[in-house]
Amino acid sequence: MLFSYSSLLQGRNPSLKSIPRTQNPTRLTHRAGAMSSGPIYVLPGDEIDASLIPSHPKKPLRLGPGLRHAPPNDIIPTVAGQFVVERQKNAIRVETTSGRYIPRVGELVIGTVHHSGAESYFVTLSDFTSSALLPHLSFESATRKTRPMLANGALVYARVSLAHKHMDPELECVSPSTGKSDGLGPLTDGMLFPISLGMSRRLMLSKSAQDGKVVVLDELASAGLQFETATGRNGRFWVDSENIKTISLVGRAVTETDEKGLNVDQQKKLVRSLIKELS
Amino acid sequence: MPREAEPSLNERNFVSRALEEGLRVDGRKFDQCRPVSLKFGDEFGVAEVQFGKTKVLVKVSAEVTVPYTDRPFEGVFSIASELSPMVAPSFEVNRPTETEVLLSRMLEKTIRRSGALDTESLCLVAGKKCWSIRADVHVLSLDGNLTDAACLAVVAALRHFRKPDSSIEGEILTVYTPAEREPVPLSWLHSPFCITFSYFGEEGDTAVLLDTTWLEEQLRTSSCTFSLNRHGEICQVSKLGGVSIDAPVFVQCAQVALAKSKEYTELVDRKLAEDAKSRDKGGLMAELTAENDR
Repeated sequence: MLFSYSSLLQGRNPSLKSIPRTQNPTRLTHRAGAMSSGPIYVLPGDEIDASLIPSHPKKPLRLGPGLRHAPPNDIIPTVAGQFVVERQKNAIRVETTSGRYIPRVGELVIGTVHHSGAESYFVTLSDFTSSALLPHLSFESATRKTRPMLANGALVYARVSLAHKHMDPELECVSPSTGKSDGLGPLTDGMLFPISLGMSRRLMLSKSAQDGKVVVLDELASAGLQFETATGRNGRFWVDSENIKTISLVGRAVTETDEKGLNVDQQKKLVRSLIKELS
Repeated sequence: MPREAEPSLNERNFVSRALEEGLRVDGRKFDQCRPVSLKFGDEFGVAEVQFGKTKVLVKVSAEVTVPYTDRPFEGVFSIASELSPMVAPSFEVNRPTETEVLLSRMLEKTIRRSGALDTESLCLVAGKKCWSIRADVHVLSLDGNLTDAACLAVVAALRHFRKPDSSIEGEILTVYTPAEREPVPLSWLHSPFCITFSYFGEEGDTAVLLDTTWLEEQLRTSSCTFSLNRHGEICQVSKLGGVSIDAPVFVQCAQVALAKSKEYTELVDRKLAEDAKSRDKGGLMAELTAENDR
């Protein structure tokens, strides 16, 4: 079943008619109306309202992370989170804030080089998972002689190029079509901060202030701080700056926003208090 | 074998560079602790301590058993600490890691061997019956400074605990339920606390930190734990390996530890008083209690 969080919050209970008869009558279920605005939240195993699933004349329906196809024609969420529909792409997915990072093709991640093998680096993306492989030659204009030598423990910003369920993921630091690095590669100096997966997604949105409601970085930059950041989809946030205090400040601002779930006004207030501390 | 990601070179360099400039990653001062929270459960003998993201829950329980044959006049007191896979997948059940062994040894030395609990008061019938007090330490999440948090939680839980009242008439031992007689607190002699210092730098002189996070704990070059009560009576000092520390620094640490210990004593006293007040509905507790003032 779908939970309409907004309607729960506003205390508008769905009408009794809309509560469907299910096989599990002990659980209170609310079916969200197809027209409901506001975010829709699902629990694992919930039934998804057919009216929410997009239909496209040509494109096949794409299931993103957090959803499973149960043959013949059921779609079941496997995680709790926000149900997101992308009508243009004819795709649906479930967004979660917490949980372990599962690599998916095309995502940008920050990994730590664990050790170097004969052909590739073994890169750790998250705790307690097997390492990802980063071939020695998948850097911009890398040949056997000119490839970058990464020490154990070095950080790399890379794209996931291969992610199969039963295989170690593979990474690349070069675009296979253009041969350019597009900003990927080793990250020198700076500091790494752990953030939640939801926060890293919000930070990586193209309009993070508008869609993700993250304004700390913009606020810090407009306060005159100069820094460079990189966000990995695996819940890593890298900051570099000339000034050590700035690095620490930016990292703390982002982690605090993440942990305390601050809204836009609270984020602005946090930045003001941090800037005051700096001067 | 699941393994935790080790800190990257960038993190190592940043932490040491920041410490040289007098900064910690989370913006605290060197001797500043994370906010400490101490909560008691509804039941007696349940305490939860939180140091930032480190969270420890302790539950104390009592039962009547036979005393050890070589100590017929003493009760049994044990502290069971276990790090479950809930903390991190690297901890396995029934396979104690070094952290776990060190933690249980530290609690043992600090609380049990220092005689914080008067075990002779637990004796019911010499050589035949005694109370067995057991404190179970559950680590719920780990973000450094586990020893201090666990020690504070154990002391708080033991001081909060009430064992059933009992009486002996002739040969008959009666243990009363809480409905019959109000449970009595343990005979508590002093409250020792662990205070851990972490040293950074090749010579251990770059920085001396209190209440380290897990990242700092992975990068420190040496550490030292003082266990002492508010009177400055030291139960144990342990410095297991690491770089050597200058004696003046060490003495200074001991003084800071004493101040911290007083702070923790005050915290536990205050929280216990608050808890007792919230339980004392209608102000009848003074009449109900069977406890004699020492």
